Parts: sequence; structure tokens; C-alpha cells
Amino acid sequence: MTTDKDTTAVQNPSRNETPQTVYVPPVDIREDGESLTLLADLPGTEQHEVDLSMENGVLTIDAKPTMQAPEGYTLAGQEWDYGTFHRRFQISDAVQVDKITATVRNGTLKVTIPKREEVRTRKIEIGK
Amino acid sequence: MFELTTWPRSAWSIFDELESLQESMNRALRNTQPNADYRGERYPLLNVWTSPDGLLVEADMPGVDPADVDIDLVGDELTISGKVNATAEGENVVVHRQERPHGEFARKLKLPFRVDNNNVSAAFRNGVLRVKLPRSEEEKPRKIAVQAA
Repeated sequence: MTTDKDTTAVQNPSRNETPQTVYVPPVDIREDGESLTLLADLPGTEQHEVDLSMENGVLTIDAKPTMQAPEGYTLAGQEWDYGTFHRRFQISDAVQVDKITATVRNGTLKVTIPKREEVRTRKIEIGK
Repeated sequence: MFELTTWPRSAWSIFDELESLQESMNRALRNTQPNADYRGERYPLLNVWTSPDGLLVEADMPGVDPADVDIDLVGDELTISGKVNATAEGENVVVHRQERPHGEFARKLKLPFRVDNNNVSAAFRNGVLRVKLPRSEEEKPRKIAVQAA
């Protein structure tokens, strides 16, 4: 139902200042009877720093967190880095694009994509 | 016959001070406990920042509820443990993709100095944990005046 188009991190050439690495955020995608839920890890990101758009069935996530290095410290050991995030997903047209909602909490973006009425799971009572 | 012993035993001996702090911290990060693994990966990933006053450990843990994180300091060993995305799936849920970490984690880090326990602080913001570990007063570098004989 859903496929992503980008799989590798690339350098963003459009920035003039220190280039920041663009990361492909890891995601979980689940589907239940009513909707699709997408969770994407965007550490350091505030709600207003995420751009979410839907065009021609492609959902695009762009996040540009403003992480400040702790003042007065120098980096002595590093396993992860600050950066920006970008990823795109092809979404089935059996969803209600105008009803998509999203929130950011603890650095994770949650996108809820409701299905169209006609493809929702319905419990059918068996008549006696 | 005497036995060969590595001396001093502490990994953070006075001789290690001759190495750069960067090398020491990188080694400390590599030497974390095997139970820190999440599917063979370390979790959470850490950055270690230093200043004359102490260390700041910065953990990458998006999606984690701060209430699910424990930070323990015993002697010179810092442990960050807890659970990440550990909620059970509801019924009739189809998982299309699961790339984010799930489950319990624990990661230990041996610190290169004694910490001033009363002044340790931690802040969690947007999925990034920062733990400030000030050096205890008696371990802070001191200038020693040389007296003329």
C-alpha cells in the first residue's frame, strides 16, 4: 500500500551555510480498519519545524530542527549527529486526503490518514 | 617469580590522561555493555560533550516518553535504561513497516571522573535527552604553584 522513494541520506546542496546531512527518518506504518498511521522519528524537531504535504498521492515529510550544541562544551565522543529529515511515501488513493491529521510529540511525528468510507472494515451482522 | 599485572588497573588511570579525552570517550562508548544492544545495535546512541566543569551526555531517543526513562549513577558508572515504543498492537492491526526501535534498553557508560552527585541534572526535549554530569570539586584540575627552593 505504501512505498518510500528515498532510501539513502544525501547532502543538501541548497544550503550555503555549513551543509547539514539530510537523514531518511525511520518509520513505522500500521493499518487498521479505519486508517493508516505513520510514525516517523525526527529527533530535536518541534511541531512548527515539520512540513508535511500531500501531492498527487505522494506524502512528503520535511523537518528542519534547530538543534543548538550545548554552550561551553566541546564534542569528545560522537555516535549521532544533528541534521534535517526528508522522506516521501506513495499513498493509496483510497484515503481521505483532506482528513489527514498530524502531531509531533517527543521528537516523533504521527500522521493519521483515514481511509475512504467504502474501503473501511465493516462488521456485518448475520441475519437470523 | 612475579605475575605480570597491568598497572594501574583503572581504565581511567593517570596515564590515560596522556591520551586525548576524545580517544578516551570514544573508547568508553565502544566498551558499553552487551545488554545495551537493540537488535545488535546500540541504543540509545550517545554524544559526549566535555567542558572543564564536567561532561554532558546527549542521547538520541525520539518517541520515548520521558516517564519511561531511568537514569542511574552508581560510582563512576552512568546507566540510561527504559523502554521505547513498547505499547502493544491493537487487534486487527496490519504492520506495513517497522523501522523504529521497539522494546527495552539499557546502556552503561563509565565516566572518566567522580561526579558531583548532588548537581547531576537531566533534560528531555523533543526526543533528545541531555544529562549534565559535573566533576566533583576534589577532581577538578588545580594549578600547583612551584615554590622556589
